[in-house]
Amino acid sequence: MRKSKNNLDERQEQMLLRIEHNGCWIAFWGLVAVIIIQRVVLDFDSGNIAGELIVFMMLALYIAVGCIRRGIWDRRLRPDTASNRIVSLTAALITGILRFAYMIKNFPHMILNAIAAGMIAAAVAFAVCFAVLQFSAVLFRKKQAKMEEEPPENGE
Amino acid sequence: MRNLKLKFRRIELEMSQTKLAEKVGVTRQTIGLIEAGDFNPSLKLCIAICKALDTTLNDLFWEENENEEK
Repeated sequence: MRKSKNNLDERQEQMLLRIEHNGCWIAFWGLVAVIIIQRVVLDFDSGNIAGELIVFMMLALYIAVGCIRRGIWDRRLRPDTASNRIVSLTAALITGILRFAYMIKNFPHMILNAIAAGMIAAAVAFAVCFAVLQFSAVLFRKKQAKMEEEPPENGE
Repeated sequence: MRNLKLKFRRIELEMSQTKLAEKVGVTRQTIGLIEAGDFNPSLKLCIAICKALDTTLNDLFWEENENEEK
């Protein structure tokens, strides 16, 4: 199929990319907010928010795979154990608080159970997040090493 | 940083922003923003502008240290 002519000049192209970039992150964090509200506040079960979860996971996976394939990690964070630990602890804290809030909302008289549930959820979130980040960091370092070894292309 | 060299060269040739934009294949706003220093054009566009104004990259886009703004 013939590609249609691009009507934008390079400045407009840059502006469009910036708008699309902002739109992508609005969609990403909007989905996070919608999933949390539906699950914790409105008490929907996983089946009812499957659509949002699938779109969110596809978006997250696309960004993660795209970045690793091109040897990009993050603007500020480094792909090392210390940074991964901090990110995982943050994720664990948020997950624990959300789980605690969900339990307290549904079983207000079972505070100890809510605390235990929150701690277990936090521990699981930390383990999963840390393992995924460490694995991704290994893939990223391998990709970077491979890119360093590639000879420069002539005329590019 | 405003690109006055570009603006003066264009005026010297009695060429409007619209005409220059047409010649290099961009919008008039893009030329205006380059002259105002609000958009950094690619090397490809810089070369196209230089060709359209019959001048060189050095003449239009090279800044001496004392004129550079951080």
